[in-house]
Amino acid sequence: MPSESGQPQPADAALLRRARHGDASAFHDLVDRHAARLFAMAASFVGNVTDAEDIVQETFAGAFRGLRAFEGRSSVRTWLTSILVRQTAMHRRRTTRREARLVRLETTAEPVAAVPSPTQAADTRIDVMDAIQLLSPQHRDVIILRELEGLSYDEMAEALGIPRGTVESRLFRARRQLQERLKGYLD
Amino acid sequence: MSECERAQRLSAYHDGEVSEAERVSLEAHLEGCPACAAERNRLRRLSDLLSAAPRPEMSADALARLHRAADDMAMADLGRMAKTLMAVAASILLVCAVWLWQSRAATEPTEPIPAWETAATTSQGTLATASDEQLARWIVQDLERKNGHD
Repeated sequence: MPSESGQPQPADAALLRRARHGDASAFHDLVDRHAARLFAMAASFVGNVTDAEDIVQETFAGAFRGLRAFEGRSSVRTWLTSILVRQTAMHRRRTTRREARLVRLETTAEPVAAVPSPTQAADTRIDVMDAIQLLSPQHRDVIILRELEGLSYDEMAEALGIPRGTVESRLFRARRQLQERLKGYLD
Repeated sequence: MSECERAQRLSAYHDGEVSEAERVSLEAHLEGCPACAAERNRLRRLSDLLSAAPRPEMSADALARLHRAADDMAMADLGRMAKTLMAVAASILLVCAVWLWQSRAATEPTEPIPAWETAATTSQGTLATASDEQLARWIVQDLERKNGHD
């Protein structure tokens, strides 16, 4: 994909190699490319904008520390997703469930600039988001990675550190739960 | 295959995560099974519904904070590298200093052997011919030399 100047943009792997050799601008380019996607994932995982920002910051900190250890067996995209998933798991372990402090994405004091959807009513979007947040963390993770991020089963298995068969079974059960909660929209 | 197992395979089929052989088999089954066809349709509608859900967007301020944090990490990394290089340089200097000291010690001229000592360690013939007066003179000369007297 060419940049604004028409020059082809370097691949993620090339940017990572440059960053590994101390090119700070290359690491900044990786941040620019992946921050929005990682933030959307983190916010969907934890349902909280502030925590999502912290998780993304920790993700890039982990990526920076792990630049030299990256072996290239997966794409940079999957690698960053794996780090984000681990940071999210750490965050969940640290955070106790305090319903009063959980801020819904649509009512936070720092409003989330949601992408407007011309084909869905606002209440539908809220119902879908609520249904995702009501899933267990394990089921929420696979639904987000598959339905919102489009990862393959192998990529999800690597990012989550679970067997491919577990990905498939969790996704099946998560979909069944969502079908039940959103049946008014599916029938 | 149980209904549950087939439903799970339909979920994987919906994601394009089945083998070619299984895909052909499932599609043949779908043509003759309204229940499974309905399940496939529900999966499609669910995916459409989920993909239309709003994606939270990162604020410009949050992105700027990320970039500042990246700069801080780079500076901290440079600082660590500088400390490591300084430690290595100090170690090299220390090794060189020790090597130089040892080399200098090895090449420094040794203290001349006093004449009386030479006489004392030479053959019996030399010792036998040195008088007591001569021995005393040698010892005195040696002491004078050591003490720096004229």
